[in-house]
Amino acid sequence: MGRYLIRRTLFLLLVLFIVSMLTFLIFLKLPPGDPARRAAGRRSTARIIELARHNLGLDRPWYVQYARFAKGLIPLPGFFLNEQVYFSYDNFVPVKEEIFDRIPVTATLAAGGAVAWLLLGIPIGIASATKPRSLRDRLGMLFALIGVSAPVFWLGQLFLFVFWFKLGVAPSSGLDIGDTLMESVLSGEFVMPWIVLSLTYAAFYARMVRGNMIETLSEDYIRTARAKGLSERRVVYKHGLRAALTPVATLFGLDLGLLLGGAVITETVFNLPGLGQYAIKSLQVADFPAVMGVTIFAAFFVVVANLFVDVVYAFLDPRVRYT
Amino acid sequence: MTQTVPDPTTRQRGDDVNRYLKALALVAVLGVVATACRSDGGGGGGGDEDLQRGGIMRLSMISDVEDAFDPQKEYYQVSWGLYRCCMLRTLVSYAGAAGEDGGNDLVPDLAESLPQVSDDGLTWTFTLRDGITFGPPYADQEIVAGDFINAMEREADPDVGAGYPFYYSVIEGFDEYSAGEADTISGMTAIDDKTLEITLTGPFADLGFRMAMPAAAPIPDGAADGHEEDYGRFLVPSGPYMFEGSDALEPGGTTPVSGYQPGQSIVLVRNPSWDASTDEIRPAYVDRFEIEIGGTDEDIFNKIDAGELDLHLDGVPPAQLIRKFQQNPDREDQVFVNSADGTRYLAFNLAAPPFDDIHVRKASNFVLDRDGMRRIRGGELVGELARHIIPESLIGDKLVDYDPYNAGTGDVEAAMEEMRQSKYDTDGDGLCDAPACKGVIGAQDEAFPYSDQNALLLDNFSSIGIELDIKSGERSNFMYARCQDPGSEWAICLGPGWGKDYSDATTFGEPLFGSAAIGPDACCNYSLVGAAPDLLADFKYDITEVPGVDAKLKECDEAPVSDERLQCWADVDTELMENVVPWVPYLWDNDVFVVSDRLLNYRYDQFSGQPAMDHMALADAGAEA
Repeated sequence: MGRYLIRRTLFLLLVLFIVSMLTFLIFLKLPPGDPARRAAGRRSTARIIELARHNLGLDRPWYVQYARFAKGLIPLPGFFLNEQVYFSYDNFVPVKEEIFDRIPVTATLAAGGAVAWLLLGIPIGIASATKPRSLRDRLGMLFALIGVSAPVFWLGQLFLFVFWFKLGVAPSSGLDIGDTLMESVLSGEFVMPWIVLSLTYAAFYARMVRGNMIETLSEDYIRTARAKGLSERRVVYKHGLRAALTPVATLFGLDLGLLLGGAVITETVFNLPGLGQYAIKSLQVADFPAVMGVTIFAAFFVVVANLFVDVVYAFLDPRVRYT
Repeated sequence: MTQTVPDPTTRQRGDDVNRYLKALALVAVLGVVATACRSDGGGGGGGDEDLQRGGIMRLSMISDVEDAFDPQKEYYQVSWGLYRCCMLRTLVSYAGAAGEDGGNDLVPDLAESLPQVSDDGLTWTFTLRDGITFGPPYADQEIVAGDFINAMEREADPDVGAGYPFYYSVIEGFDEYSAGEADTISGMTAIDDKTLEITLTGPFADLGFRMAMPAAAPIPDGAADGHEEDYGRFLVPSGPYMFEGSDALEPGGTTPVSGYQPGQSIVLVRNPSWDASTDEIRPAYVDRFEIEIGGTDEDIFNKIDAGELDLHLDGVPPAQLIRKFQQNPDREDQVFVNSADGTRYLAFNLAAPPFDDIHVRKASNFVLDRDGMRRIRGGELVGELARHIIPESLIGDKLVDYDPYNAGTGDVEAAMEEMRQSKYDTDGDGLCDAPACKGVIGAQDEAFPYSDQNALLLDNFSSIGIELDIKSGERSNFMYARCQDPGSEWAICLGPGWGKDYSDATTFGEPLFGSAAIGPDACCNYSLVGAAPDLLADFKYDITEVPGVDAKLKECDEAPVSDERLQCWADVDTELMENVVPWVPYLWDNDVFVVSDRLLNYRYDQFSGQPAMDHMALADAGAEA
């Protein structure tokens, strides 16, 4: 297990290096023009441009520039998203401050959405798998088809229009100014965003659980369990589901890691001040230190989530430790 | 709005200014008397005794302000509206009314009266009111003459990167201070705490307007030190409102105010230091303004329709919502339309083919279906078809009968006739057929209604053989950035608009057509009118000269406030439209606002083109107070 962990950690570091190098090239080296001017923003003064140039190390060799940039990936105080490189000259605040200010909203959205899609997707997948080609299977897969096909921005607008504007049974978009995050959650302002966010994932997970379970339930050991007289419920949930959920667990970790980088469309449609909305606004105003910061932050979370999933997988299925 | 026009007989320039100011003073006095007669007994600006004080007004903005509320930098009507109504007082200001109700007339604000001007028009003296103080964190610190010098020095400071310092170059010593050649602005003197004397480089009769702009609002000594980039988040208020949390700011501190969360929200609360008895302009009924930033136009206007929001500050109401309100007798009074004193236009790059040929530019003016452009934006409600550049209200209706390109649905025949004279129509068939006519790059705003206008533009220009290649992006950081940069590839800027900065055509002059307003760090001569040959060479244009109007602009800037001045600007307009042709103006904007049913006493602030929030009250104020 130890060697497995070391291998996965080294692989994580390699991935982080590739991501950081690509991001460094994309933002700082490849585009034409002066990166200091780009970082400083459209209306910046000569002083700010020179400050940006110095902070980004653009007056130093490229490897110094990269080192400052890559330092932002190290999860230690003073390193992670360091103010030297990741500084928004648009609002004149460290990008880290903005990101950490917005993480709770994104985390709330992601967590709630994740619970919703698990609570929806897995039962539908099980129900479909246990009675394939039945009416409930067809209904379940119809749900999956709609969920996968309907774009989130359309679903969001539809939900707002129907449930808030027409029926008045849900709150409108945005969070009430002055409310804490908990107050916003308790007043139901996250319910529609959770549902909208979860529908696409639930659809996908329903299909995946259905497929995995049908395959698992046709295994010999399941036939043996039935032959030994175990109840169907026990066969399905204790023996069948456990094996079918292993790949789901893998995917769940990755999806959650990705979401923590910002559910961009959901946050924009519902005007939630999270990381995704920050990324969009930063792109719109060409605040590229902020965009760099969000990119690095999201990449870090995805890679770490990947490692976490690998470790969990190794516990669930010891065979993978030897691959 | 028509300017006040004295008898145009020969007289000294100083006399003209004094006569103009005396007329304004009379209007101001009458206005004060009139509003005092309507006083609600409890606040500034007279007020209406039927309107209740209190309540929370809920507003929305799609985009954040441009420069984090820094008054020396913000060059954006939404910010200016918030400054005038609520946060910053200036020496002179506006009453927060439509042009036809005196909304373009200057009234005393922090000054006890309109300024005294010397006979030669070069020396202006402002006397401050007694006992007016700043708000937190400089609460109870009296506003003195030196505080206005602080503001102008900051405007001149190159490290600040101010939004419109060119307006203050008329002050003696301003440019020298900006260039680091002087330690003070020699033309600004605090005679004593109550008396500010400003000396000009020439008899510029519109200094009053320039001192009414937010950059001229006073700043306490030291308040902006160390905040060259972010003073807006430490803004010291002088108006009836302030950012929530201003009372928690420390003078010289580094923790910004909590009431402004960039990209998220703005909350304004009452400034405890504001004395209503000193402020005849602002009744200030509402207790609190909560402005959410972000969202989509559709969602925001649905919220207004549902009563969850009161006002949307930077959106264009959809035509179907306007129709819905106007067709309902109970709701038709929730739609307000005012002339915005602004022009929507297409701007040519005079140095970029094929628009380096005046005949192509004229042909484009003939061919554009202005009525179609307006229809896409919402129909007749959104404005009047523009026949020339400067709105009539700023040139005293001098050009009401002037329509050189038959503004309407477009005249293809006339356009083709013009195109035949162009070097880019090689076979004389009225179509642009040289290689430069294909793939002509246009910079455009990606948002509605500009995105919807693209199909019409493509069609119109193709009818004279010009194939546009439209590149769309975010308004400020793509379209305007591209249009302002002579080095970026573009030939026509498709989505700009320009509103007056104050009620004088000079605001349509230098900033738009002066050669000093060219370049990525300047604003906003996109067309490169008057660009010097070496600048054209620096940006690798083949053309070596473009027409300019600098001399004419200077002549009009210095003209006395009189019919002569109005005529001068009208002549600039015709010169531009016929002999330079930098634009295709297509619409003189109206501002259309849709409000919730609980918002009372809607007023339009002609100065900023925004709702005058200081005059509005809430029907349920008592319930929320």
